[in-house]
Amino acid sequence: MSPEERRPQAVIVPPEPGTIADLFAEALPGVAVTPHQGVTDVILIIGRDDAPNVLATARTDPRLSFDFLRNLSGVDYEEDGLEVVYHLFSYKHRHNVTIRAKVPTDDPRIGSVAGLWAAADWHEREARDMFGIVFEGHPNMVPLLLPEDMFDHYPLRKDNPLAPLEEWQGEALGDMMAQAGHIPPGSGYDVVAAEEGE
Amino acid sequence: MAAYNPGEIIVDPADVEPELDTIDLHVNVGPQHPATHGVFRMVLQIDGEVVKDAIPHIGYMHRGAEKLSENLDYRQAIGFQDRTDYLGGFNCELAYVQAIEKLTNLEPPERALYIRTILTEFNRITSHFMFLGAFGTDLGVFGTSFTYAFREREYIQDLFEAVSGDRFMYAYFRPGGVAWDVPADFKDKVRWLCKQALVGASDLDKLLTDNEIFIARCHNVGRITLEDAIDYGLTGPTLRASVGYRSATPSDISPDLTFDLRRDEPYCIYDRFDFDVPLGSNGDSYDRYLVRLEEIRQSVRIIQQAVEQMPDGPILPARVPRLRPGPNEVYMRCENPRGEYGLYLISRGGTGPYRLRIRGASFCNLSALKKMTVGYYVADAVTILGSLDIVLCEVDR
Repeated sequence: MSPEERRPQAVIVPPEPGTIADLFAEALPGVAVTPHQGVTDVILIIGRDDAPNVLATARTDPRLSFDFLRNLSGVDYEEDGLEVVYHLFSYKHRHNVTIRAKVPTDDPRIGSVAGLWAAADWHEREARDMFGIVFEGHPNMVPLLLPEDMFDHYPLRKDNPLAPLEEWQGEALGDMMAQAGHIPPGSGYDVVAAEEGE
Repeated sequence: MAAYNPGEIIVDPADVEPELDTIDLHVNVGPQHPATHGVFRMVLQIDGEVVKDAIPHIGYMHRGAEKLSENLDYRQAIGFQDRTDYLGGFNCELAYVQAIEKLTNLEPPERALYIRTILTEFNRITSHFMFLGAFGTDLGVFGTSFTYAFREREYIQDLFEAVSGDRFMYAYFRPGGVAWDVPADFKDKVRWLCKQALVGASDLDKLLTDNEIFIARCHNVGRITLEDAIDYGLTGPTLRASVGYRSATPSDISPDLTFDLRRDEPYCIYDRFDFDVPLGSNGDSYDRYLVRLEEIRQSVRIIQQAVEQMPDGPILPARVPRLRPGPNEVYMRCENPRGEYGLYLISRGGTGPYRLRIRGASFCNLSALKKMTVGYYVADAVTILGSLDIVLCEVDR
C-alpha cells in the first residue's frame, strides 16, 4: 500500500462568513486563496508566488494590520511538497490567522518576510537549516542552529529518517532499539539488520 | 609655575594626547560562561566599554526535540516537553496535551483541570524564583538572592515530587487528564506553599527592589519600546514590561489587551479566576524584574482560588480513546513563564505527531538581544541577557 492510499486526506472546511477570510478577500482581490476553518484559527492556503504580496498586505493593510508574527515553521509533506506556515496575530484588532504557502521540494524558494517582521529573521534561518527552504532577500542567511558546514542534508525533512542516525551513533545502540521495536519499519535500519543476520 | 594646593590635580595640556586612535574589539562571551545562563555564546563588538554590535550564536544545545517527537507516538512525546523549557515543565506539558485534546476532542474532567492549573501556576512561581535568584546574582547580590529564592523553590519542588515522582522531568499530564491522582494531603500542602511563596517573594522584594546597587545596574538598562518588542516577537513578562514605553510613532493597540494569553485567549480554566496582569511602564530590565516579582503574587492568587474550587471526582475520562486523530492541525499557544509557548501540531492520521513545531518563547525573546544591547556598556549586556530570563534548552530545542 502506498503512503498516499494509507493516508486519509484532510477535509477543507470553508469558514463561516464574517471571519478574517472575508477581510483578506476584500483586501486582496484576484489572489487565489483557499480559506479553511482550522481548529482554532482560519487557515489560508496560498501559492508561493502570492506569498510576498499576501503577507505584505497582512502587515500593512489597516483592516488587517497583523503586527505580530507568532510563529513561522517549515513543514515537509513529502509527496505534496514543502510548506511555510505563518501564524499571525494583530494587537490592533485582536484577530489571528494562519497562512500556509506551498513550496515545491525540488525548487524550495520563497520570498523572505524578515523585512516585515523582525521576528522572522531567526525563524527563517531555522527553517533554512532544517528544511533547506531558500528565503530570497533575507539579510543574513547564515546557519543558526546547525553547524556552518552542514549543507548535505536537512534534518527535519522526512527523507532524513531518524533510524540511520541511531545506526551511525553506534551499532549496538541501534540493534537494541530495533529489537525493542523503537525503530519504525521502513526506515531502512531494519533492512540493514536483516541482511546482516543472513 | 602655580602654587601647589593639596588635592588639586594639575594636568599640563601638553601631556594629554587629544585624539587616540581606537579600534573596535571583538569580545567572545561563552559558550561556557556563568553569565550566559547555559550554553550560549555571543560575540560583542566593543568600542572602549560601549557595545557596538552583539552577535548571538546558538545551537549548542540543539537536540532535535521536534524530530524525536515526530518519531514517537502522542503519549511518548510528552516527556520531551519537560526538556524544552525545563524550568516550566508543567506549562509545556499543558500546551502539548491541550494541542492533542483539540485534535481529538477529548474533554478532561474538572478535577484534572484544577490539578493542572495549580501545578502549572506553581511551576510559574518556581521559574520566577529561579529568575530572581539568578538575576540578583548577575547584578552583584552574589549568593544571597539564590539562597533566598531556592528555599521556597525547594518546598514547591517537593510538592512536584510528591505528585509526579520527579522534581523536574514530570511527564505527569496526559491527553484527557493527568496520570494519577494527587496525594491525599495535596490541598493542605498547596495552602501552606501559597503562604511560603508569598514569604519568599516578600523576602526577595526586601532584598532587591530598593537595593541601590541593584537599581543602579538595571534601571534604564536594555530599554525596548512596545512597538519594537512586538516586531521582534517578544512575549511574556519581557513584553509586558514594555507596555508603558511607546515609540515616537505609537501603533494602535487594542485597549482591552493585557498581553497575557491567560487573559486574552483563555485556555484551560483561566477564565474562572480573578487575577491581575502586572504591566511595566519603562521597558527596562528593572521593570522586567518587577513584573516577574508581581506575577509570583498573582499566581498565588490563582492557586488559592483554584484549591478552594477544586472538586473531587475522576482524573481521566471514563474511556480514553486511542489517540489517532484525523488529518488536521492546531497551533496551541500558552502563556509560559517566559512568554508564548506555541506548539504547531500536525496530524496526518498516524499514531504520532506528523510535525511538531515548538515555538519557544526564549527563542524569540533572545532574537531581540542585539536590539536591546547595542549602545549600552559591556556590563549591561550581562544584565540585559539576565533580564530576558532565557532557557537555552528552549532556544535550541
